[in-house]
Amino acid sequence: MIKLGQKSDAKDLKTRIIGVGVFFVAGLLVLSINLYRLMVVRYEEFNALSVDNQFKDVRLRAPRGLIRDRRGEVLVDARPSLDVFITPAFCQKCPVEVLPRIAEVLQWDEEQRLKVEAMVKAAHGPQRYQPLIAAVDISRDEFDQLLAKQFLLPGVDLEPVPHRSYRAGPTLAHILGYMNEITQEEITKLNGMVERPPYALGDYIGRRGVERSFEHAIRGNDGWVKHVVNARGEVMRDVRGNILRGGQSEAPTPGKNVVLSLDARLQAEAERAFPGTAGAVIAMETKTGFIRAMVSRPAFDPNEMTGRVSPKRLFQLNQDPLQPMVFRAGAEHYHPGSTFKVVTLLAALQAGVMTPTSTVNCSGGYTLGSRRWRCHNERGHGSVDAKRALQVSCDTYFYRSADLMGIDPIASMGKLFGLGAVANLGVAAEVPGVMPDSAYHQKYTPGGYTKGMALNTAIGQGDVNVTPLQLAVLYSAVGNKGHVFQPQIVQRIESPEGQVVESFVPKQVREIPMTDEQYKLIIDALVSVVNEPGGTAFRTRSADYTIAGKTGTAQVAKLGTVRLKKEQMDYFERDHAWFASFAPAEDPELTVIVLNEHGGHGGSDAAPTAAAVFAKYFELKKADSFALGEEWVPPKPPKPVFYSKPNPAAPPDVSDPGLAGDVPPPPEATVQAPTGAPR
Amino acid sequence: MMELSAERRSVSQMPWLLLLTVVLTTAVGIYNLASASRPPSSPMWASQIAYFFIGSAIAVVVAWIDPKLLERLAIPIYLVNLGALVALKFFGHKAKGAESWFIVGPVRVQPAEFMKIGMLLMMAKYFHDDYRPQQPTYGFLRLIPPAVIALIPTALVLVQPDLGTALMMAFTTVTVLVFARPSLTVWIVAGVLAIGSVGVLWNDYVRVQNTEQRFTIIRHKLKKHQDARITGWLDPTSDLKGSNYHAMQSKIAVGSGGVNGKGWMEGTQTGLRYLPEQHTDFIFSVFAEEQGYLKCLGLLVLYAGILLAALGVAAGAKERFGAFVAVGIAAMIFWQVFENIGMVTGLLPITGITLPLMSYGGSSMVSVLIGIGLLINISLKRQRSGL
Repeated sequence: MIKLGQKSDAKDLKTRIIGVGVFFVAGLLVLSINLYRLMVVRYEEFNALSVDNQFKDVRLRAPRGLIRDRRGEVLVDARPSLDVFITPAFCQKCPVEVLPRIAEVLQWDEEQRLKVEAMVKAAHGPQRYQPLIAAVDISRDEFDQLLAKQFLLPGVDLEPVPHRSYRAGPTLAHILGYMNEITQEEITKLNGMVERPPYALGDYIGRRGVERSFEHAIRGNDGWVKHVVNARGEVMRDVRGNILRGGQSEAPTPGKNVVLSLDARLQAEAERAFPGTAGAVIAMETKTGFIRAMVSRPAFDPNEMTGRVSPKRLFQLNQDPLQPMVFRAGAEHYHPGSTFKVVTLLAALQAGVMTPTSTVNCSGGYTLGSRRWRCHNERGHGSVDAKRALQVSCDTYFYRSADLMGIDPIASMGKLFGLGAVANLGVAAEVPGVMPDSAYHQKYTPGGYTKGMALNTAIGQGDVNVTPLQLAVLYSAVGNKGHVFQPQIVQRIESPEGQVVESFVPKQVREIPMTDEQYKLIIDALVSVVNEPGGTAFRTRSADYTIAGKTGTAQVAKLGTVRLKKEQMDYFERDHAWFASFAPAEDPELTVIVLNEHGGHGGSDAAPTAAAVFAKYFELKKADSFALGEEWVPPKPPKPVFYSKPNPAAPPDVSDPGLAGDVPPPPEATVQAPTGAPR
Repeated sequence: MMELSAERRSVSQMPWLLLLTVVLTTAVGIYNLASASRPPSSPMWASQIAYFFIGSAIAVVVAWIDPKLLERLAIPIYLVNLGALVALKFFGHKAKGAESWFIVGPVRVQPAEFMKIGMLLMMAKYFHDDYRPQQPTYGFLRLIPPAVIALIPTALVLVQPDLGTALMMAFTTVTVLVFARPSLTVWIVAGVLAIGSVGVLWNDYVRVQNTEQRFTIIRHKLKKHQDARITGWLDPTSDLKGSNYHAMQSKIAVGSGGVNGKGWMEGTQTGLRYLPEQHTDFIFSVFAEEQGYLKCLGLLVLYAGILLAALGVAAGAKERFGAFVAVGIAAMIFWQVFENIGMVTGLLPITGITLPLMSYGGSSMVSVLIGIGLLINISLKRQRSGL
């Protein structure tokens, strides 16, 4: 071995050391060139990526607008829903300790607990930092219990979240609508190609009624801020705990409020006074077309439909034979029955086949060819003129008119009144109904049009079908002398501060020519229906104002040879009871249509509801005028009724609808104890 | 010889350039660490200063050890280090999937960092002892002992597993072996081996093959994360959310620094913790993001200064032992810098390796400073041996 420091000379290494040095410098040059490529050449690209990394757009939800009634009473707003959120990343020992504790308080069954557990376990990566909804709408008691245990529940947040609240429950459900989660297809369709799309998955969107048709106004515009986030998606805070924000932001614009023309008080009365299982009540301003009250029964609860409905319950609702999801006031049509007779009468007068004074002798029916059309009064009404024909609802008179003029004049008149076309309330689905004419029958009826079809149509049977809403438009036009209005339920749109943004004015669709004589005749006839003995709605009269109206009893099942009482028939075979009316007759303000589906007779099962609505309307009008300091002009009372001997031509009918049925009495004013003891 | 020695008997015997560049780089490292470990992290720069002083103290001791003692100690140091690496297998602390640490009271020691030095000393001693002026080139037989000296610790480090350090040790060994001047035969065989391994890489990773009957030579033997790293290195877009995520985030950090950088403590990738191990292995991306290209060049110049100063020490060494140690330490520093910055900028696959004097860590700091101490020792030794 060579001794150290002697022969092991290092001189021969010099050139090689230089070589190593050149290699090192070359290596560092390679690094610096690569750095140049990244930091100078591709700077823009990487800088953009680093900015993307740094910020997360956080949406600031715009509060949704309220829906109010005409006086400002809130119908739809937001309530706090007490929700439980779990953030998987912060939830330690989640399935073993935390979830069983929550399950105990909220009384979850095993299935529910496992469902939440699966949801928590499914989150991976940055998703683990997103709070998941574990329970919604827990009770205040449960909320407090969980709050007390919160130190044992890491990663669990309890928060009141604004949730849409329909204060009146099922009342107005079809009009107000409901909301639920938006679908991916809708997002694609609605968002378009904008930089900050208005909708995101998980958002709620109006599904029906005003919520849907006025979505654009009620929704408002979401704002956004840029939050600084770290690699795990956590929002960063400064030393004081404030959230770190990026440069730009935009404040949310709250949604606008929708003010309906409805009066909640009148609505409540209409709901209360309507006795039917199914049907509709519409109170419409005769001279504007604005809706004051609208009942469609049965209904669903929009609070339930708004994100709180189970698939099972939804199935139940859809399977319910009474079809609570159907908007009966506008999306279902019915035979109008005798309420249609005003159209036939006006058509006959204008076609010249009848004059106000010409009479028809009713012997209990009308024979055309080999068939006999029965009048509802089998003993006959005797000699009836136009006014009496409406008052006693004599079918024979209208059979005769139809025989003389055919179906087309009736159909034209009906179409002028808006039948056969959607009334266009605009907030809910509507059907056009059917106003058959000869062309219609030629096309759809096997064997084509025959005169008998005109006879059926003349009394509101056959193929003629109307929606309660169309009938409301029709009777308003009768009451206001021919002005057909488009029905409307939204009075105006207001900013959140109450400034009017858009105000809706009455929309007249057309005017039906009508002579004063014709108008007076029809009004007199309709007044006599309610206010003269023998009229089919005589029991509905008021002593304070004059109601003009017409009852209707629409057949659903083919009549057998024996007439049955409604109690003797299956529910779905019973007649529909109609009452169409307006008041005061001299200067009509309010049109009220009542349809009691399978309810029986118009006079007994529909008219009393209308009477109650009118009573409430005038009571409220009086109260409001006092409150507002306006002069109260009471409506003119009707002519006093003299009970003379009954008209021999029309003896009281046993089936006279006016003799049976009534509205449930208003609830007695309960005196509340000062302590507010529960009623 | 005496005249030369007399000329060098002055203060310039101290490698001032080396000291200056080392102190400057450490200062830059501490400044950068203050940003990388900004709140809410603990202020690591303070500990780093402490490590620097501990390391400097050890370096001073190393620098003043009698060179002859150092040579005699080469074998025991090497063996003790080997023993420590083996012991690690039994008593080591597992962190991040690798057994690389001893925990002695409050101190965590990483034996691999010291093994490098032991390995270099051992190889230098071999080349010193084996000097044959009549046979200037090294054939296979004479290269086997140093290869074995290097291979044992490298293999032990590799199975920890610490691929980064093992690679660095392998590259350093190759550099030292090349420096020792292998024979033409060795060059030819090495060339064939290099082409062969490129071929293996091409066959296993680049060539498009049927997934079911894929023929691979070594790929199926690699661990999954190692395999993914090689795939990711060859194709950076292959798995952006998975194993390539960190590589991409690191490139974003470096690239977004631009010419002038985002400013000290202003780096967003750093502040928001998009970078893994940002105070150790990825410290350079913090520096690049905040300081920009020009200062990165400055840092590379500092490293170049250290390397050239180290080679200057090698050139000035009178004995082969000193020259080999100096070249070995320079190579070690070079390969760490090259591997680390190469990995951070996407030039090389991601392996765990620290950036000398910049990365946080006591073992890394102390081992580099021991190397510097050795360089000073060698530099001063020619003065004393000249007397």
